[in-house]
Amino acid sequence: MDSTNELNRRQFLQKMQQASIAAMGASVSTIPFLNACTPSNTRKSTADAVILLWMAGGMCHTETFDPKRYTPFEKGMESKKVISTFKSIPTALDGVSFSEGLENIAGIMDKGILIRSYRAADLGHILHTRHQYHWHTCYEPPQSVQPPHIGAWIAKELGPKNPVIPPFIDIGQRFTVGEAEELKAFHSAGFLGSEFGPFIIPEPDRGLASVSPPKGMNLTRFESRNKLYKELVKNSPFENFGSNYQKESLMRSMEKAYELLKSPEAEAFDLSKEPKEIYDKYNTGRFGLGCLQARRLVENGARFISVTTEYVPFFGWDTHENGHTRLRDMKAQIDQPIAQLIKDLEERGLLDSTLVILASEFSRDMLVEGRPGQTVKDQVQVPDNIDNLKQYGMHRHFTDGCSLLMWGGGIKKGYVHGETAVERPFKAITEPVVIDEIHQSIYHALGIPPETNYEIEKRPFYTTPDGEGKVIKDIFEKFS
Amino acid sequence: MLLLLSHWIFELMGKLHPLLVHFPIGLLIGAFVLEGIARFQKQENKYVGMIYLGATSALIAAIMGQLLAQSGDYQGDLINQHQWLGWGTVGLSLLTTWMYWNRVKLPKRLPFIALGFTCISLSFAGHFGATITHGEDYLKINTNSTQSHVANAINIQKWTTQDSFSTTELSSLNLEVRGIFAHHCYQCHSTAKRKGGLALDHEAGVFAGGDSGEILIKGASEKSEIIRRLKLPRDHEEAMPQKGKVLPPNSIELISLWIDKGAYWADEGFKVFREAPVALSKPDLPPITDEFDHPIDRFVNQYFKEKNIKWGEPIDDYRFIRRAYLDVIGLLPRPVEVNEFVQNTSPNKRNELIKNLLADKENYTQHWLSFWNDLLRNDYSGPGFITNGRKQITNWLYQSLYEGKPYNQMVEELISPTEESEGFIQGIQWRGVVNASQRVELQAAQNISQSLLGLNLKCASCHNSFVNNLTLDQAYGFANIFADSTLEIYRCDKPTGRYTGTAFIYPELGEVMADSLVDRLRQLADIISQPKNGRLYRTLVNRYWDKLFGRGIIAPVDEMDKLPWNQALLDWLAADFIENGYSIPHLLERIMTSKAYQLPAFNYDSPYYIASEKFVFQGPTPRRLAAEQFADALSQTVNPLYYGVAYLPDNPPFPAQWIWYQDRKLDRRSLPEPGERFFRKSFNLESTKPIQSATVIVTADHSFECYFNEQKIGQGADWRQVQRYSIPVNVIQSENVIAVKGNNDGTLPNPAGLLFALRITYADSSQQYIYSDKSWATTNEQPAESWTSLDFAETDWKGVSRRNATSSHWGKLVDFAYENETNQSDFARASLVKLDPFMKTLGRPTRENVATTREGNATLLQALMLTNNDFLYQHIQEGAAKLLAATNNDMEVLIKDFYQNALGRVPSQKEQTTILKLLKNQSKQEVVEDLIWSVIILPEFQFL
Repeated sequence: MDSTNELNRRQFLQKMQQASIAAMGASVSTIPFLNACTPSNTRKSTADAVILLWMAGGMCHTETFDPKRYTPFEKGMESKKVISTFKSIPTALDGVSFSEGLENIAGIMDKGILIRSYRAADLGHILHTRHQYHWHTCYEPPQSVQPPHIGAWIAKELGPKNPVIPPFIDIGQRFTVGEAEELKAFHSAGFLGSEFGPFIIPEPDRGLASVSPPKGMNLTRFESRNKLYKELVKNSPFENFGSNYQKESLMRSMEKAYELLKSPEAEAFDLSKEPKEIYDKYNTGRFGLGCLQARRLVENGARFISVTTEYVPFFGWDTHENGHTRLRDMKAQIDQPIAQLIKDLEERGLLDSTLVILASEFSRDMLVEGRPGQTVKDQVQVPDNIDNLKQYGMHRHFTDGCSLLMWGGGIKKGYVHGETAVERPFKAITEPVVIDEIHQSIYHALGIPPETNYEIEKRPFYTTPDGEGKVIKDIFEKFS
Repeated sequence: MLLLLSHWIFELMGKLHPLLVHFPIGLLIGAFVLEGIARFQKQENKYVGMIYLGATSALIAAIMGQLLAQSGDYQGDLINQHQWLGWGTVGLSLLTTWMYWNRVKLPKRLPFIALGFTCISLSFAGHFGATITHGEDYLKINTNSTQSHVANAINIQKWTTQDSFSTTELSSLNLEVRGIFAHHCYQCHSTAKRKGGLALDHEAGVFAGGDSGEILIKGASEKSEIIRRLKLPRDHEEAMPQKGKVLPPNSIELISLWIDKGAYWADEGFKVFREAPVALSKPDLPPITDEFDHPIDRFVNQYFKEKNIKWGEPIDDYRFIRRAYLDVIGLLPRPVEVNEFVQNTSPNKRNELIKNLLADKENYTQHWLSFWNDLLRNDYSGPGFITNGRKQITNWLYQSLYEGKPYNQMVEELISPTEESEGFIQGIQWRGVVNASQRVELQAAQNISQSLLGLNLKCASCHNSFVNNLTLDQAYGFANIFADSTLEIYRCDKPTGRYTGTAFIYPELGEVMADSLVDRLRQLADIISQPKNGRLYRTLVNRYWDKLFGRGIIAPVDEMDKLPWNQALLDWLAADFIENGYSIPHLLERIMTSKAYQLPAFNYDSPYYIASEKFVFQGPTPRRLAAEQFADALSQTVNPLYYGVAYLPDNPPFPAQWIWYQDRKLDRRSLPEPGERFFRKSFNLESTKPIQSATVIVTADHSFECYFNEQKIGQGADWRQVQRYSIPVNVIQSENVIAVKGNNDGTLPNPAGLLFALRITYADSSQQYIYSDKSWATTNEQPAESWTSLDFAETDWKGVSRRNATSSHWGKLVDFAYENETNQSDFARASLVKLDPFMKTLGRPTRENVATTREGNATLLQALMLTNNDFLYQHIQEGAAKLLAATNNDMEVLIKDFYQNALGRVPSQKEQTTILKLLKNQSKQEVVEDLIWSVIILPEFQFL
């Protein structure tokens, strides 16, 4: 086939694709700006769903999945001697230890991988929401156009797995807390358009309400209301309003919403359908129930789900003081439900096709803020000697070495990638990994080619900057 | 639904036509050849099955083709010819089939001859089909034909037919080659990126080659690496380009030719992309006709004549008043206004209506504010505000629109700003270190370019642009105008050590050279806003045309170098705008009084067509209500949707603040816990004069009981309903105390607040205000019974908090005012309300970046929200109860009223019956709720 024919074949394919996009109801306004440049070849995928377990606020690696020498609290101890404030415990993987309080996840370490050498970007002033923005979009804020969340990219490229389950679901983050505007800035489909934006469930145990008929409306009435709507549409002098594609897009989306709200899949959002003993296993609070919600949704064909411990400034993993005490609670919140989630997925045969990622925007350290040797604004004051338990913990933001875990979806089982130094600063010293590589590896598992991009305001915008994120081959069971 | 769905399937089936046509081609021609051979061997009629199959597939392919043609992506003579031949072929093949079927009764050779004709017809149909799909030159690549008609393609023949080249010709050849490089190669091989060490965007780069050596040998294209790579098969590892489209063969030939002729490099700078002229001259108006005297119509009429388009009937009065209201003030007309308008017999009533609407400055401003907020990326909340890295220009913008400030003056004030308008060029300063291309000086240059000039400077802020002719140096030259000291040029976020002076993008308009920042901004403002700068005014009139017609004279509206569908009309409008004092209301009036504006919405085939440069204007495109219009329409017809605004044009004369008890967790401020809180404020009278009146306005989230000097004066349980009480004059003493018990409902911590004001008017009409502020005391513990009395000691009480976690939850209540002190709206206009999930889902943008177009598509998330969102449903429930109360539960009256309010028409008998029928199984309240919901989602309600 000569290249001209090749060109025309592509045009033809593009045309077909455009037609189906138009049929799905793309809008006039977005089109001039959003030209699909998605390549036509599809790759083999090893995963078709993703669960992101987001440890919001900066989870310290030396206190969780990369413990160092334990230094118990003593009044008057030197700050620089504090390395890990917990004992180490063994994991299912020989020679790999976790920090005390993560016994359950330690028990499933043979089912997934641990990346110990993740390096968060250097964004100057170390700020949670900016680093979270960078983690979730792969682009540093600000950009001249609004970059999409990784969930929105996946929703756009792969669409829903089950047509009635929204392809991008965001569980556990409320937007009424501090820095809400900064959080909203990346929980968004950006230039891809709100169609691919997150379906937000701030309270996991109230997920059902978001996919049920309105409060107080039973199914009979819900159906009769829909029938009324259709009859009124039929009687309305229709032809003068909206062109066909617009009307169709409105009618189709209304129909789809109606289908979802009365479909049996809506039950996936109903945690009360879960047997009590299972519910209890997950119920360590909102995060734990979020994990249960995620499992039920994946079973019913969800595509991308994010479950977060929730970012509220100075709460959760964001320990500016009292780090040691707080982390006991945090670990208790995540340990049991995450282990249960992995086991449940495996038991249901879903782990092979579901990629689960546990990550945080950066790590923490007692003394080093940002990267070693850097002076950074607004760091927590740490005294040379510690007088009370409140000061005992990792209270500064550390970016140069962080832990990240993955399970399922074609990822190796029982493997550790990279390591951090034994002595402070605990930075990544081998096989450093950056966010572009994490994203590209996730896209790789899903079969989304690295050159996937859209032209927005005539700028080609790739899933990872310039499409150049590299896949971390070592973490895949079979790299193809 | 079934109909729509099947329509979609048909459309997809249509797309299969180009695939299916190959079956009849293969089968019928194959059968003809095989049958020919068979006949020679005296074994005729051996392949009859193939003929039958071929005929059947021809029929199917033709049907599919018909569907494809109806999908509307194709038009023109070629299609007609192809269509005729296609159906002709089907006819012939069916005839052939019939002949073979009945061959025993027919002359022996006849079926075979018919098959021959079928094949000939098929070949012609195929030829035309291929021409449609592959272009007219699809045969020519291999045939060395002497002509090429493909638009925009490079005419290789122009070059290959001559042996010797003049310098001018060599330059021009070189520029064409550089054009090819720019479109196909720069993305990876330019100074910005240098993949493989190669940069093709300048002379030295091209001749230096890349990491693997030189890419060309002058005079020897066959030995040049670049040609070898370009010719490699697509899947070869070394093939170029690796990303994007493969180069067409004639482009490769052209590069070869250029190399063979010595790879001459032209001195002149070259422009790859079309640039629209900046200057503006007013075109002559086309001749006036009896029917069309409006200047716009004279242009459109001429255009329609050229394009052979008939004028549609103007929309009727009902549709017109709805369209005009929504376009000028963003609200629905009230039924009495509709009736008055329809019954008005004045021939000039449409023009009068537009004038009257434009005179409603408040509503005009509150509607168009959204457009301007989008354009100038001004918002009430968003990233940046947290650290004062961003400043609103709302007050300036509101006043400018309200006063009808001339546009040139608005532009001057945006560029050379006052304190109130400086937020625009100051940009958004994010915390931390940002990418060099996003420093605020570059943001200023980018935003002025995009918003005011319809020019994309964003790409050039990082590297020489691939999308227009702008360079990195030009972007920095522009940004330097806004910089305190000259900026070091960063290429792709890496410092280059280079600097450039200050320079405006269009030097023909003037220079910006002053030493001080203030003077430079003044110069720039003067240069940009001068009437000579046609680009500025074309950009604006085109944006307004786009808003009123759904598609600009140029699209997209931010790319003013694109071709307009009517240059003369655009230029005339811009010139007319300047001549009429740069007045935006005049522009609106000018456009809206034309017959073109009154055309019915035209059903264009696809959004792609509308967005393309092939677009032919035939009337406005259908437009969906914007989020704000939809919200306001709900407020008007059902029940107020919003009560509090982020920006109140006229602040009340007393600065009352929301206050509450401050809870703490882990020594951090936290959201208010549920439960009762107590508040006290004592005060002295300022005057000994007699008191004429004392009025309290108060509200709280969730509920309150209010006492004055121990006497209970009232209570409330809905923060949206501001309560008003008069205090009997005899209760007021020289020393007084206000006591309020507030309650925060719920089981989880959630926002809570109290908002209070008391106005005491003395006999001499002087006034004293007491209002909620930081001077109030509060406690969370049940106080002694005497807590409402003046003598009570506030031991252990604390100061109130004004800084609630989500104090902006309520906004500024429009209703929290004394009469005549501020304009009393029934509801808060959505344009003034902080972005909320409801409007966000309906497409109101977050304004971190300039956003000049709204999403018009209906999405699943939107549909889900419209279907089950609590906020909306509660709104409908309350509205239903209100409508029932207002009509004394008379359903027939209610239905009629509601249809008139919402749709501007009375319901048909059938609609009425359909709705009333529901009363058999449902309560009136439920039926009204369902009626409201159904009507607001009707396309008739949603589209303009």
